[in-house]
Amino acid sequence: MSTLFKKLIANVELRIADLEKQITKRITRITNDDAKILAALRLLLIVVVMIIPGNARAFCGFYVAKADASLFNKTSQVILVRNGNRTTITMSSDFEGEVKDFAMVVPVPVVLQRNEIRTVTPQIFTTLDGYSGPRLVEYYDENPCEPRIVYDQMVSKMSMADMSTAAASKQESDHYKVKIEARYTVDEYDVLLLSADESSGLEGWLTDNGYRIPEGAREVLQPYINSGMKFFVVKVNPEELKKKGTSFLSPLQISFNSPKFMLPIRLGMANAKGSQDMIVYAFTHTGRVETSNYRTVKVPTDKNVPEFVQNYFGQFYVDTYRKHRREQGAANVFLEYAWDLSGSVMQFCDPCTGTPPMLQDLITAGVDWVQQYHYGYNGNVFFTRLHVTYDRKNFPQDLQFQETPNRENFQARYIITHPAYGEFTCEAGKKYLQDVRQRRTRELQQLAMLTGWETASYSPYINTFNYYPEGAPTYRKVVTPVIKQAPIDTGSNVVPRKDPNQIEQGAFNIPLNDDAGGNENDGASAQWMMIGIGVLLLLLVFSGRRKVVSR
Amino acid sequence: MEFLIIHLADKKKKIHECINGFASWFTRDPRHYQIIFLSCFLWYGISALRWDIAAPVLAAAFCACLITQYLFIAFKRCDLHSLKSAMISSLSLCLLLKTNDVYVMLLAGVLSISGKFIFRIKYPSSGKIAAGWKHFFNPTNFGIITTILLTGNAWISPGQWGSAGVMVFCIGILGFAVLLKVKRLDIAITFFTVFCILNFIRSVMVVGWSADVFFHQFTSGTLLLFTFFMITDPVSTPSHKVARIIWAALVAMLAFYLATYQFVNGAPLWALFFLSPATILFDKFFLHPKFSWL
Repeated sequence: MSTLFKKLIANVELRIADLEKQITKRITRITNDDAKILAALRLLLIVVVMIIPGNARAFCGFYVAKADASLFNKTSQVILVRNGNRTTITMSSDFEGEVKDFAMVVPVPVVLQRNEIRTVTPQIFTTLDGYSGPRLVEYYDENPCEPRIVYDQMVSKMSMADMSTAAASKQESDHYKVKIEARYTVDEYDVLLLSADESSGLEGWLTDNGYRIPEGAREVLQPYINSGMKFFVVKVNPEELKKKGTSFLSPLQISFNSPKFMLPIRLGMANAKGSQDMIVYAFTHTGRVETSNYRTVKVPTDKNVPEFVQNYFGQFYVDTYRKHRREQGAANVFLEYAWDLSGSVMQFCDPCTGTPPMLQDLITAGVDWVQQYHYGYNGNVFFTRLHVTYDRKNFPQDLQFQETPNRENFQARYIITHPAYGEFTCEAGKKYLQDVRQRRTRELQQLAMLTGWETASYSPYINTFNYYPEGAPTYRKVVTPVIKQAPIDTGSNVVPRKDPNQIEQGAFNIPLNDDAGGNENDGASAQWMMIGIGVLLLLLVFSGRRKVVSR
Repeated sequence: MEFLIIHLADKKKKIHECINGFASWFTRDPRHYQIIFLSCFLWYGISALRWDIAAPVLAAAFCACLITQYLFIAFKRCDLHSLKSAMISSLSLCLLLKTNDVYVMLLAGVLSISGKFIFRIKYPSSGKIAAGWKHFFNPTNFGIITTILLTGNAWISPGQWGSAGVMVFCIGILGFAVLLKVKRLDIAITFFTVFCILNFIRSVMVVGWSADVFFHQFTSGTLLLFTFFMITDPVSTPSHKVARIIWAALVAMLAFYLATYQFVNGAPLWALFFLSPATILFDKFFLHPKFSWL
């Protein structure tokens, strides 16, 4: 029976997703009828879910918070689109400072044509980041002693402190034996395509033309020149920018044909002392993108964490990411999201933290193989979000990617479960209380394991869940603003780790180069174990040989 | 009392004999070591490196290889010892081939083993050399490449090992141990040296990258695994020493070309696949008795 119901739920879920998709795609206003159907379906679904014991986990949970790219200091964002041998790269320009100082040098494999360079709306980065960031979802327990109450979906978002700073703009420079292959004006940018014979020449040229280049750029420029790369050099044209009537720089998008599927990161390291974070959003035909010269590791996902994590979700994810990176090794690339976005797919996210990219977004990103089809589009698209924290020591080589046929979805998802509130006088209720205490103990352990936080100060969390104020509705209390003032459902005795605001501010400002020993830490214990086994077996081999010979 | 002492001594002797017997059986066949080493790598990959291998896919690799091998053994009336080779093939498949689909892994297993029995040639007896069959594709390599070409739903993940220096030491030493038993160190050394030199000339001397870029390329677990555990398969490589060295150098050169100029991922595997049939030619010109595991 249970499986039957599960199938039924899956069916209903699909229908809801379909309906939601259609509604969002129509862009027109939702009609009253549609909304009613949706509400009815949702109600039905929730009722069905509640009838089946122990099935609550089958539902994806409600999305409550997300961690966006701006949490990490010095984060740059790049969109990569790969179609056969054609690569489209869109670079976010979160440059802060005098626009006249803005300059960028990117090695490219070929000389770009004018129609291969364009600017796009910065909105695309917000959409992709919002859609694919790590998410916190919530579940509600039911009171085992009371009849069920149907509640509505509650979605609350957390506002994160926006601490993004300028991506280290790659500033390089110029001169001797430098050939200007092409010169374009692309909206507010003056674009040059250079080829050079010597790095000293290029360096001189760039300096003479007012590009400030960092120390140590030469050793990086020379290999690019030797391997036949051209240089895509960008400066802001103040007049064009004035014409545009804004001081905001648009993201630049370049496309080219080359069998190389890579991102040149070495030039970006020339002027950065610590590490930098980069988020790569990749779109392909077939499946996930992974790095072929570095290990691609998933971030931890589907972990049950304490309710109060909702208040510090940004901080929580930053610390989880850092700890995971320390444990897994600093020279890794981390997978944060992977989802099949083909036109035929019913569910673009589960649960959604933002609007999924639509046809227009895909086209803006450079996905040129999709066509409009009814309200959606036609064509296979797979989306991957990678997070890399790179520095000179751990990332000597540029990032090389490969497109795999792996179409498995993945998301960084953390779960909070709200307990039921009530007297719990019945037998089942007593057992429930016990279970919840155990669960909350496990949640705290999980939190400590994920983030390395000192959770001892949170110990009242285990026992104080059964507190709720007079007159408050049984459900739906867990709305962010309420919690921020007084953590009702975690118990008012819970001591926050520090002043929440301070934590957030502090955490977001710390650069992410906390990889003390991160390099050596690459699964260290397992490796030493392997060495031990190796030496033992080697001894065995030699002793074995002697025995055989002596016979 | 005396009886008891004699009895105990007798027991001790028996246990000793038993252990000695096992040790001599174990050390006689280098494939035992290979199985242990490869299992260690697989365990390391799954536990420490958190590879995404679903249990059914793992099971599929083992079932497909072992059952296909058994069927061929039953059909050709060979001895059961070759099941160890099938075991090695399935372990290598799990280590190198990535797929989410159980059927793809089954296909890879079946192809690996059947390639061994289909693509083989008979050597006539000449002089002291007895007549016999010899397959010329490395079973795992054949399985991996044909599966990728046929299904398009499987891939090689060269970055999956990361590139920690300790790994180099580890795989190197284990591989070395196996090779001492197999006596095919010449292939590994030739391949590795030629590949290293070519890459060094290209990336450090010609292009001008600093040395750490070069080292980073060579601390890849997939490359070392290939060098010490795949290309060194004694059965499918040329039998004569000189032939082996020339052949290994050719594989290295082709791998270098594919990796550097064609941007192929997992280039050594493709190079080995294309050059495997050349083994026949080498064996024609350089006569030498065929390798036997036991």
